[in-house]
Amino acid sequence: MNNLSLRRLLLGLLGLAAFILVWKLITDAKLVSPIFFPSPQRTLTSLINGLGGGPLLGQTLETVERMLLGWLLASLVGIMLGALIGVSRRARAYIAPTLELLRPLPASAMIPIAIAFLGFSDQMVLVVIAFGALWPMLLATIHGFAAMEPRLYEVSAVLGLTRLQIIWKLALPSAMPMILASLRLGLTISLILAVVGEMLASREGLGQSVLLASRSFRSADLFAGIVILGAIGLVGSRLLSAAERRLLRWQATSR
Amino acid sequence: MAATHASLQAGQVAMTTAPAEQPRIRIRDVTLSYGALQIIGGISVDIAAGETISIIGPSGCGKTTLLRMLAGLARPTTGTVELDGAVLGGPDRSVAIVFQDYGKALLPWRTAAGNVSLALEARGCPAKERPVIIRELLDKIGLGRHADKYPSEMSGGMQQRLQIARCLAQEPKVLLMDEPFGALDAMTRQALQDEVLALVATTGATMVFVTHDLEEAIYLGDRIVCLQPNPGRIGRTVEVRLPRPRDQLVTREDPEFLRLRRELYDLIKDDHQ
Repeated sequence: MNNLSLRRLLLGLLGLAAFILVWKLITDAKLVSPIFFPSPQRTLTSLINGLGGGPLLGQTLETVERMLLGWLLASLVGIMLGALIGVSRRARAYIAPTLELLRPLPASAMIPIAIAFLGFSDQMVLVVIAFGALWPMLLATIHGFAAMEPRLYEVSAVLGLTRLQIIWKLALPSAMPMILASLRLGLTISLILAVVGEMLASREGLGQSVLLASRSFRSADLFAGIVILGAIGLVGSRLLSAAERRLLRWQATSR
Repeated sequence: MAATHASLQAGQVAMTTAPAEQPRIRIRDVTLSYGALQIIGGISVDIAAGETISIIGPSGCGKTTLLRMLAGLARPTTGTVELDGAVLGGPDRSVAIVFQDYGKALLPWRTAAGNVSLALEARGCPAKERPVIIRELLDKIGLGRHADKYPSEMSGGMQQRLQIARCLAQEPKVLLMDEPFGALDAMTRQALQDEVLALVATTGATMVFVTHDLEEAIYLGDRIVCLQPNPGRIGRTVEVRLPRPRDQLVTREDPEFLRLRRELYDLIKDDHQ
């Protein structure tokens, strides 16, 4: 098993190396002008300089903070609201169709509304992130509650569990696989919206930095920013996967 | 002797000796219909405290429905179910039920100890006292060494043991069993039959055991209620005069056991024709 995961890691690194090699070949052959498309080496140099003395580290922290705050807000509201709606069949019948209608609404469409109310502020960006990332958590919680094994409701009735105990001890853990998957999705959306929000509202962060680099044809800086954004996404997703494996170990053993 | 207070004619009992011993469960003229479809068509039974009743009958005769009404999970359309003289309005902590599908009735994300704990949490048992009680119950049902296992790591027999342990944690007066061993292999089933009999004997609980296995019904019961279908009603009630404690070999070779098996077989066979 350990052997297998090591092999998987090696294969993954091999794929990454191939990707960088193709990137290098394209830039070496000057298929695209270096003004728009930097070589891997130039991107790496810009990355090291930016993180060392440059502004990149601060911007990264800004973006990560924005993403995490928005995501936490969305998760808390989504799970709590989802639990309230999910626990009652009647509430589900009333509210779920409206939610399905609102869900496909692109979060970016909310940005003008948020700007109208909150101006070009950090709060505005936070609200947009929270709104956009809310949906997966909200719907997963509602669906998770609805999908709870009916037998367990009977068990809880016979044991005499209170409504709050049913939510806390039965429905939430039983919805946990769905909720955890949605948390991962929500984090990705948070990152996207953090970047978009920074670009539109000119808030300090990687989104703004990437946009400015692009406008001033600093392609190496632009790509350095993108590499960091990719890394943030990867690390976040990996951390949540690890948490998922730990929280769902009762499931992993069922093979 | 179960026979003395197991009279089916409730009125007659009330007429005779002054404070007639109150049955633990009294089922009075219970019917159940879904729309025009009648599932249960008028059932009356008294079950004494400490008695074990087996319910048998062909599939679709309402065995499980009747048991669900005793658990308070289904409401009779007419008639009442009484527990110690009070009408049962819904599920009651003193009536525990063991479901056949243990896989669905257990919490897969909780260990064996955690599943038993749920019943203790429900009845407000202080957290400090729980480990001792859990330990005791798991030992009693033969799961002492498996307290930290998740249901997915346990065999079917162990999972059903666990469900029984959780029911015992309710400290029930009545233990309802809905074909609990139907999905288990023969050896496990017999072992669990004996364990359940021993548990019922020590706790003094009243047991209602639904099964489609005639021998199991005889082996466990003081009385056997045979239901007939369309709509579900009592065909016959048979006394089981076999000595206790029962033994898998001796009891099953008892001429009375064989006679009862023949009698019930003929009864059920008629229904299937």
